[in-house]
This record gives sequence, C-alpha cells and structure tokens, in this order.
Amino acid sequence: MTRAVVVGAGLAGLTAATALARHGVEVTVLEARDRVGGRTRGIEVAPDAWADAGAAYLGDRHTELHLLLSELGIKTTPTTMHGASRFDLGQDARTEAGRFPPLAAVALGDLFDRLAELTARIDPVAPWRTPGAEQLDRQTAAEWAAEQLSHPDARTFFPLFLGEMMAADPAAVSVLHMAFYLRSGGGLRYLNAFEGGAQQDRVAGGAHQVCERLAAGLGDRVRTGEPVRTVHQEATGATVVTERAAYPADAVVLALPPLLAEALSYQPPLPAPRAGRHTTPGCAIKVHLVYPAPLWRRHGLSGWSVSATGPLLSTVDDSPADAGPGVLTGFVTGAEAHRFAALTPEQRRAAAEAHAARLFPELPPPTDCLVTDWVNDPYSHGCYAALLGPGDWLAHGPQLAAAHQRLFFAGTETSTEFFGLMEGAIRSGHRAAAQLLATC
Amino acid sequence: MTVDAAARTEAVTAIVRRVLEAPQAGPEEDFFELGGDSLLATRVLSAIAREFGVELTFDDFLMAPTGAALAERVAALGAGVRERTVLQVPMAEAPAERSEVGA
Repeated sequence: MTRAVVVGAGLAGLTAATALARHGVEVTVLEARDRVGGRTRGIEVAPDAWADAGAAYLGDRHTELHLLLSELGIKTTPTTMHGASRFDLGQDARTEAGRFPPLAAVALGDLFDRLAELTARIDPVAPWRTPGAEQLDRQTAAEWAAEQLSHPDARTFFPLFLGEMMAADPAAVSVLHMAFYLRSGGGLRYLNAFEGGAQQDRVAGGAHQVCERLAAGLGDRVRTGEPVRTVHQEATGATVVTERAAYPADAVVLALPPLLAEALSYQPPLPAPRAGRHTTPGCAIKVHLVYPAPLWRRHGLSGWSVSATGPLLSTVDDSPADAGPGVLTGFVTGAEAHRFAALTPEQRRAAAEAHAARLFPELPPPTDCLVTDWVNDPYSHGCYAALLGPGDWLAHGPQLAAAHQRLFFAGTETSTEFFGLMEGAIRSGHRAAAQLLATC
Repeated sequence: MTVDAAARTEAVTAIVRRVLEAPQAGPEEDFFELGGDSLLATRVLSAIAREFGVELTFDDFLMAPTGAALAERVAALGAGVRERTVLQVPMAEAPAERSEVGA
C-alpha cells in the first residue's frame, strides 16, 4: 500500500488527501496549526453566528467548490446588496445610489480597457509563455499605471481596484502577475462582480466548514500541531520530519503557499526555488465590525463603501443570512495592510472604529471589532495569495506545479485556473493527487 | 431621423455590441438586460469619448442605457458624428475570450 504524507490542512491539502484516501493510499495530513482550514477561517461573531475571517466568496464558475459543497451538504447564501453606497474618495464621504464610485466614468473605462487588453494577451495555461512575457514580467503594476494612466481618477481608483481584486500593492506585483491573476479568475468583469461574478455567494455558516468536514471525513489521519521542518528524499522513500516525529512515506504532497514551502528544509535541496526575493505575502487584513443587527439597512445603505485612505479601503455587509447580528467586513489591503499591521491591537481597533464612524455617522459604535491579520500569520504568510513580483513568473512559474521525484505541490498558487481563490486550491489538490496516483 | 442621427446611432450601437460581445444587439435594447454591468458601461463610455470626443457620465449612461438613447445624449452634448469616424468604427477588437465579459 502506498503511503503519502500531505503537508498542510487547508483546502488544497485536504482535497488531495481525501482523493488519495479514496484511492486506497494510506495518507497522513500534517498541519502546523491547532486548527484545519488554512486561509479559510471562521470566527464566531455571536452565539452560532459565523463570519469568514479568510476566504469567503464564490461564483457559479467555481464548479469544483460547488461540487464539494454539495457532497458535504453545505449550502450557499447570496451576497445580494440593496441600498446606497458610501464613498470617501478625497472629498467628504458621499452617498451614491449604486456601487459606482463618484469618479469620471470615462477615466475608469479607459483603465478597464487597458487592463482588458493586457488580460486578453495572457497565456492562461503557461503565463510565462505569453508573447512579450519578459517585458510584462519586468515591470511592476505601479510603473505600468504611472506610464499608462493620466487621469487622476484612474490613478486614485487603480490601487483600490488591485487591492480589492488581489490584495496587492501595485508596487509589489509584476504586470504579468496582475494580468494573469485577472485572467485566471475569469476576467476583469467576472472577478469584480458580486451578482453574476466571483462574489455572487458566500458559504452559509462560513467557508471554514468545508475543511472541517473534509478533516472529519479523514478522521485521525489529520494531525494538527505538527509544524514540518524538513523533508528528506531517498532512493527508497521520503521522510517528513516535524518538531515531534518523523513520518516515513512513499510520496509527499506539499500543500502550502510557495513562501512557506520555500522555508522548509529539503534533503537533498530542491533543484529550483518556487519563490524569489520579490515574492511577497498577499496583503489582506480583515476587520469585522459587529452590530446588534444590520443597522445600516434601516438607513437605506447596503454597507458597501470605498475609501481612498485607510484603514478600511472597502466595507461590505457580511451579516449572517438569518436574523442575528450585523457584520460589516472591512478590507485593509495592499500597502495599507502593512501600515495597519504595524499598529498595536488597541490602535487597530481605534483606527477601524474611527473610520467606520466617519463613513457611517448614523451607526452607533460597533459592539465588537475583530481583526484578522493574514500578512503576519506565520502559517499562511499572506492572503489572498502570494504576490509574484518582477521576474517571478519567468523564474518560478514553470516550477510551481511541477513534481520533483517523490514531492508533489498543491495550493491555490499552483493552479493557473482561479489562482488565489478557493476554487484554485481545490483544483490544485485534485491535480496533485492525480499526479501522485499516476506514479503508484 | 437625419442621416447624421442614424449614423450616430449605428456607431454607438456598434460600440455596445463590441463591449458586450453581443453582435445581435439592437439600438433599442437595454444594455443591462443584455448582460452589461457598470464596469462594461464605463468601457462603452470610454469608447464613445474616443470616437466622438464627448465625455458622458455614469448617470448619463443610467438614464440612457441603449445604443439609440446614448447616441441622443452624444448629440445633445453637441458632437456630430464625423464621416471618417463612422468609416473607422472598428468591427471587432482582439477577440477576447468570452469569459472576459462574463457569462
């Protein structure tokens, strides 16, 4: 019987482990944390009311996630937004009827035209083979914007858009990575949209349940509190060494973000790195402001807001579907996430509450303010996904999903389809399991 | 309808068709019912600005979300369609994958 060790009990690792177990592989999942779920995580905002502190949204094109949800008996709930939005884009906070910001539409259209043109050029299967890839890989998105965008409204909107789409500071990603990410997620419009797009639905009761149920299905094959340090490969097998024990295996699946996979020790060393000095953690901090009920709805507001200055660059109504508390989720992304992460917990809470009071003066102070910092999380190292900087795609892209002898790689960053999303993680888990099974 | 107005309606409708990748869209059809959203609306507006030199606002678009009505807004803002603009209306941009504009 083949023995496999899967490192990482996020969506990718647990999907791979479940597939391997179904095919008769004796599988052990090693997870550093004392919980499963990786970049999905539930926080209880009120008794039996959960909010997503990590990955949250899905759309109809996320077919593998939908399939998994139905297998596990988990339902989804729509993210429909009704009411007016608030915008704080330089002047005082303004109310607008829909989600469209009070910026020059022609300038935004010109920005989207340029992004759509770039996105259409990308080779979606092998981004490094995109015609002109060298040039796109060399330039940062910030340099591109400085060169291409002349209208001040486009310059205001671009970093907010990139922060929201991919939790990136434009200075941290190459143009190739930006265009690839947009393409991989289904294109500008799909990735941006709530209804009819990638944010159409949430997982009812929280996305963390997916991993919890997969882990329950695997039973004692999942071991938490087991940070992996070293992976040995020998002629006859592999050994995965944690702080507590050594696990022999015929094959190993590393279901980790590339920065974490790169930080393990390999004996012998891997022939090629999967991240470089320009690869950085995705910059997302989620702030949950909890209210007794979704009070903004009483004022005709949807809870959606966009601000040009932080910390809460955007807010969205993430209240549980059934009656209960109101949850306003604030996104602190890109460069703003680094500034916010440097504050003390008290300062973060004060800054978030002050921002909410400025945006929504009609609301009372929240009853709770919960901050989830993914940037400094030692076992995720960023969220939504790793940011590939200048040179990364050409240097590391071809290795991201390539097996090396007994090692197989999974994780949303190893999927060219829906990179950075839950869907990409699941597809990567299936792919890694299939690669491994093909060698048995 | 004058020749100018008819040409303007045809040119604006051509922009709508191109942005929506809906070659059958008619001048009286509602952009949002054809599957358009605000992001795509801005791309119609940027194309109108390039071809007609007229900058419409998003509110203009919401009040006139058809090729014909947008053409009227363009006319009301004082721009006539120029002969060479009509001749240069691009038939199709680089054929972006269908997913580019969503399903």
